[in-house]
Amino acid sequence: MIPPFEYQSPGTLNEACRLLGEWGPKGKIIAGGTDLVISLRKGESQPQILIDVTRILELRRIEDAGEKICIGAAVTHGEIVSSKLIRQYGQVLSDAASWVGSPQIRNLGTIGGNIVNASPAADTLPALMVLDATARVLSPGAEKEVPLSDLFRGPYQSSLNPDELLVQIAFLKLSSDFRTGFVRLARRAAMAISRMSVAVVLRMSQGEDRIDEVRISAGAVMPTPHRMSEAESILKGKTLDEGTMKKAAQCISGTMARWSGVRPSTAYKAPVVEALFLRCMRQALENSP
Amino acid sequence: MEIAFTLNGEKVQVEVPAHWTLLRLLREKLGLTGTKEGCGIGECGTCTVLLEGVPVNSCLVMAPKVEGKRVDTVEGLGTKDSLHPLQKSFIDHGAVQCGFCTPGILMSSKALLDRNPTPTREEVQEAITGHLCRCTGYLQIIEAVEGVSKQVKG
Repeated sequence: MIPPFEYQSPGTLNEACRLLGEWGPKGKIIAGGTDLVISLRKGESQPQILIDVTRILELRRIEDAGEKICIGAAVTHGEIVSSKLIRQYGQVLSDAASWVGSPQIRNLGTIGGNIVNASPAADTLPALMVLDATARVLSPGAEKEVPLSDLFRGPYQSSLNPDELLVQIAFLKLSSDFRTGFVRLARRAAMAISRMSVAVVLRMSQGEDRIDEVRISAGAVMPTPHRMSEAESILKGKTLDEGTMKKAAQCISGTMARWSGVRPSTAYKAPVVEALFLRCMRQALENSP
Repeated sequence: MEIAFTLNGEKVQVEVPAHWTLLRLLREKLGLTGTKEGCGIGECGTCTVLLEGVPVNSCLVMAPKVEGKRVDTVEGLGTKDSLHPLQKSFIDHGAVQCGFCTPGILMSSKALLDRNPTPTREEVQEAITGHLCRCTGYLQIIEAVEGVSKQVKG
């Protein structure tokens, strides 16, 4: 059973900010509820008020803003999967969102919720990292635009204050010469939480022989979402030969061990994350630009 | 708090505590016990209803969220005397055994066929990935949904 609380559904950002300022840490923002309602039920979260942000129109839109694509924080995973704009300019995010939960969960759960819940295994986060996404955050009387990676403090901990509201996520459109890949490993295809995932954005040189640009991120292997920048610099400017790929793969498992520490699972995870990376690169290369 | 929404095509107005889920509202206040509670944490799909035409886990929806919205439950699908084609097909294909998962799967199947009247087998499978059925092994359910889409194809 869920203990009692108040419930407000502000229709504007101003009203939402006022409520957040008024209630502070005693309030909780609810969007899809796919994580929050479970923690309410378990008693892990005991707010005095839920502030439902899904009726604020600015938070519900996917917009073509010239160079950028802007996604309102309360856009659902289902809406991301069916958005032609996101498929065209950031396919890696469509692919990642299509793996979230089940159809019912995707129809409720939102991209903003996935971010602020800060699960290390969240499917959309590696995709947003390789898209170099930024986040717009609103609080009473202030607004800031920050790199998405600034929003995470640790596993299941966002760095947002109780009076701050994630409003929008934006990324620069990938031009048509970019290819993307997203692979994940889980107990089964549907519903299961990712054991590990890898997202890649890749652009080859004119002659298709060298890597012009590459961005890599892995999910569920680090405490918070990160780019694999060392592996990226191993690959940049190189040809795609087996030796270079292997070196980059080992660099990724090395980065994982350095950030997450060597655990009993590392002996299993290291070769698997390497294989997932290779698979992801292959998928990206097969996706014609 | 008082909320108003459209339930199975009819406008309803109801007093409900803000901390109730839609599932609890349907079952305990409105007497619509066709929608089942299984796991209560969005894993099993037995509580699936349509919110604005798309399937959602009603155990994860707080009741105030449906204010002004359209909700469809299995009770709105058909009646004993005039079954919905999906209900008829589930019976014909032996897709109902213990029956606990059936109302939820019917609603996800309805949402699929409303959007895509002639789905492929993969699309049927994808549409019911959020449902657990411990009796049938799913094959009869998939065939039942395909049975309705065949009628459409003629």
